[in-house]
Amino acid sequence: MANDSLPPNQRRFFLTIVLGGISAVLSVAAGWPVFRFLSPASGGGEVKPVEMPRAKIDVGGAQFFTYHGSPAVVLQKSAGEFVAFSAVCTHLGCIVKWIPDKEEFLCPCHAGRFSTDGAVLGGPPPKPLKSIPVVLAGDLLRIG
Amino acid sequence: MKKYSAALILPILLLLIPIIAPSFAAAAEETVCLQCHGGQTGHLGEPVPLWRESVHQANGISCHHCHGGDPTDFAMAMRPERGFIGVPADNDIPAFCGRCHVGVLEDYQASAHGRALGSGGPQCVTCHDNHRVLRASIDLINPQDCSRCHDYGRAEELRQAVSGTDALITGLENDLAELHRLGFDTKPMSGTVFSLRNDFHRLFHSVDVEKVRSKTAVFAQDLDKVEKEVAAIQSDLGKRKLWGGAMVVLLVLAGLYALLIHKSYQEETGED
Amino acid sequence: MSLFKGLMDYLDVRLGVRDLIRQNLTGYLVPRRANFFYTLGAVLLALFSLQFVTGLLLLIHYRPDAANAFASVQSIMNDVPYGWLVRYAHVVGSNIIVIALLLHMLSVLFMASYKKPRELTWLVGFIAFNLALALCLTGYLLPWSQLSYWATTVATDAAGAIPVVGEMTVRFLRGGAMVGEATLGRFFALHVMGLPLLLGAVIGLHLFLMRRAGISRPPFGPDYEPPAPLTTFRHEDHPDGIPFFPHYVTKDLAGVFFFLAALAWVIFFAPVLFIPPTALEPADPFVTPPHIKPEWYFLWAYQTLKIFPSKVVGLGAQGVFMTLLAVLPFLDIGPERRPAHRPLFVACYSLGILLMVALSIWGHYS
Repeated sequence: MANDSLPPNQRRFFLTIVLGGISAVLSVAAGWPVFRFLSPASGGGEVKPVEMPRAKIDVGGAQFFTYHGSPAVVLQKSAGEFVAFSAVCTHLGCIVKWIPDKEEFLCPCHAGRFSTDGAVLGGPPPKPLKSIPVVLAGDLLRIG
Repeated sequence: MKKYSAALILPILLLLIPIIAPSFAAAAEETVCLQCHGGQTGHLGEPVPLWRESVHQANGISCHHCHGGDPTDFAMAMRPERGFIGVPADNDIPAFCGRCHVGVLEDYQASAHGRALGSGGPQCVTCHDNHRVLRASIDLINPQDCSRCHDYGRAEELRQAVSGTDALITGLENDLAELHRLGFDTKPMSGTVFSLRNDFHRLFHSVDVEKVRSKTAVFAQDLDKVEKEVAAIQSDLGKRKLWGGAMVVLLVLAGLYALLIHKSYQEETGED
Repeated sequence: MSLFKGLMDYLDVRLGVRDLIRQNLTGYLVPRRANFFYTLGAVLLALFSLQFVTGLLLLIHYRPDAANAFASVQSIMNDVPYGWLVRYAHVVGSNIIVIALLLHMLSVLFMASYKKPRELTWLVGFIAFNLALALCLTGYLLPWSQLSYWATTVATDAAGAIPVVGEMTVRFLRGGAMVGEATLGRFFALHVMGLPLLLGAVIGLHLFLMRRAGISRPPFGPDYEPPAPLTTFRHEDHPDGIPFFPHYVTKDLAGVFFFLAALAWVIFFAPVLFIPPTALEPADPFVTPPHIKPEWYFLWAYQTLKIFPSKVVGLGAQGVFMTLLAVLPFLDIGPERRPAHRPLFVACYSLGILLMVALSIWGHYS
């Protein structure tokens, strides 16, 4: 081997760098499967609308459902007029409640209040509730 | 003090040993049919060793499943009131086997073979044997067996017509078995192939070459879907081996480099 | 570099790290002629760590109940990204660990390193070995396959041969009359919590004892003489030795890499080496599959039980053998460690290995 002429400490410097390189490659090769193993399952990429019969929602009533893995709510403000929001409060992420008597959403965590349009009526939330488009097709609501 | 500690440990270890030293002495339970007939000589004992080699045995189909009777009761095992049927007459054999092999029976009965039953036509065991029923294979169509009754010519034509699809099915079954062995969930694919195989086998029990030829394309199409799925897994396996091989090489290299570094220290300190 | 020095200064003032490093790494001298078998301890530590990590990952997707266990393992193998790799690493890793443990024990026996003052190190190590086997046995049940179910059935059944309390022991091990949901529950708890914690503590004690007594010098070479018997505690120093770090560590590292290479080779090129076909069928308490055999490292015990006419005698023979092995340092008390000067021991050692291998092969083919 050509290295034999080098003094041991110089040879060792070179060898250590190579070993470090191999170890780095091995660590990545071992780390990648672990990362993939722990990665959340992808939802197939495409965003699919949620379908729901309109009869499930009373006039002035709300229906909670899961939209892309997080809670959402659809509301029939008046006969035939539907709106949908993410039910996650924009303050600290609690789930808002529908208060039919007051016709507003209330977050039970810190009393944030939202209107039927999702706008902040009071309390700490910094932003309105995120709106989700709703289309009425016959007796079926297509949300998203 | 040492002696005492040993004396303390001893009973603990004695308790441990049965846990770590398993005895595997379980024997499969035998039915009374096998217990009696297994020990008999002559034609009453003959079926047992033959059956032990059969595809029925491999799938847990025992004497009583075909011949009826009570496999748990020595005294009543062969009584008609316990459902014992015994040996069917030659002409009753298709109905006897057809209790399970429903589809094949149907196509057989409509075939030239089936219509000739009772007038010299073959029934199931003519080709398939009785107790030593092997997994059906295309080799059952051969000059020796077919020419016992008729010219081999027609049979050879049928063999030609089915051989392509049959090879495809057999090949897929082998591939799937291999993948299953490696831990892949092959159940849905195996199910598809199994059902195609059954349909195909009942098809050629019609011994109608034209019919077999006309349906071959449909089978090929369905089998192709499974084949693609299998090919995808196999290519994935190939990639795994490639990456795995690289990992093994890198690990060995890393070990060698560590040793070389060790050697450089040895030279420095003059260690032998 | 000055950042590193600053950090070292900070830690040195508070923990005396430079002193720690000198005592345990750079100034810790280990025997000059330490052979390759001396790396097995480091190899085992690495392999056990790997088992811990892969086990933790498997735990995310595994479902410990009879209705879902098999399906969850199937799903790990087929649906979870790289689940097959994690599971194979865990399964193959356990077998490689047993190989490394056996080599570790056999080398310690051959070099008589178990002798005074290291009797307790051996005993604690032997307990760790048994705990590792118990981990293997409890882990075997978790996939809830035909193999899991029936191997556990017959393994627990063997305890029934113990006089008087046998029946009770079997029921206690299984948590019921038969292997079932209750067995899975207790084996799962033992496998993922009880035994690993216990094994971790025992390994810690083993390392402490090893470090306290010092590494024993290999009993080879022309200048080796058995030391005079100790009367007071003394750490075995090696003034002419080599520093543990960085000198000796490179050798340990090489050992670890070579074992990992072997592990990777089996995982990618012979993954079913340790997985019989019955491990691929879901457990069926009503159908005993033919030819159920224990894992290769229990074959000797399996065959012993078959040879002896009565189960009690067979169990007793195994008990005596394991107990003798455990207390060997308390029986074999001469100071001589050189194999050439211990012909009787070396003869027993070789014959013992041959007997074990022969029994295992016999058990495999019987």
